[in-house]
Amino acid sequence: MKRVVPLIIFSSILFLLFTSIAFGQVHTRLRVIRASNVGSDVDASLRDVHDDLGSLFSFTSYRLLRDETLSLSPNRPVSISAREGRIIMEITLVGLHGSVAELKIRVARKGKDTLNTQVRLSPGRTVLIGGSKLSEGVIIYAFTAKF
Amino acid sequence: MKDSCSSISRLLEKYFDQEPTDKERLLVESHLQDCTACKGALKSMEELRTAIKVPVEEALQKEDFPWVWQNIERQIRLQEKLTWWQSIRSWLDISPLFQRKVWIPAVATAAVLLFITTQIIFKNTSSYPGASVVEYVESETNNVMVYDLEKAKVTVIWLFEGPEEEALPS
Repeated sequence: MKRVVPLIIFSSILFLLFTSIAFGQVHTRLRVIRASNVGSDVDASLRDVHDDLGSLFSFTSYRLLRDETLSLSPNRPVSISAREGRIIMEITLVGLHGSVAELKIRVARKGKDTLNTQVRLSPGRTVLIGGSKLSEGVIIYAFTAKF
Repeated sequence: MKDSCSSISRLLEKYFDQEPTDKERLLVESHLQDCTACKGALKSMEELRTAIKVPVEEALQKEDFPWVWQNIERQIRLQEKLTWWQSIRSWLDISPLFQRKVWIPAVATAAVLLFITTQIIFKNTSSYPGASVVEYVESETNNVMVYDLEKAKVTVIWLFEGPEEEALPS
């Protein structure tokens, strides 16, 4: 019995170590941004978004509404609600190929799907999803890999 | 010392080492009853033995004879020109850690886990089928634009909404 106990502990440690490596979570940074032509304020942390979208759109103001890191586990949806739950964004990790994460993103307004997409996010890559009207501007979701 | 002392002195060492015959022992013991010189010689032998015995025993206690013997045994085995497998076995035999058979199932378990994990990792890192960032995008209610800024490694998915669909964040 004295020999079995350390053996079980040793095996358990190895099992936990290997499974944590194999089935690790994916961390993704999500920034919720309001872009508009009211004013010319650009938050310091949004310079990259301003520079990227400058060639496509002519927004003069970029304000950061929310900045958080999502911990995504395979096939476990994470929901982000806006406007008191009337807009829901659901993000699901559906695949992991080495350092490339496959994210399924669903945007619903008042219970009705307005956008369904699946993107491949890799380190250094940013995916911007925008266009939803927000008073005098639009709302933009910026996903950046943190793995 | 009496004349017979010379003949007894030859037997005295044998008597001291408890090796005489019964006849010799009786002869020595009857002589010692009357001869103080031979008694003194026997006593000197005992003192000498004590003087040698104590440091020798101390030295023996300090010496690690099992380790010395293991080294000797290994040298003997080497001289016998063992095969590589026997050499490994002889090396393992001197390590008490490897003598514990509890490591066998532990190593086997670790090997199985390592095999399973590598299979999963290799499956995950296999060549990626496509280069496109957006696998699909669909909207039943709005027009959607997808734009890739490859230089900046940015992909934009833009939803064109009408003015009546205005939204506010929480």
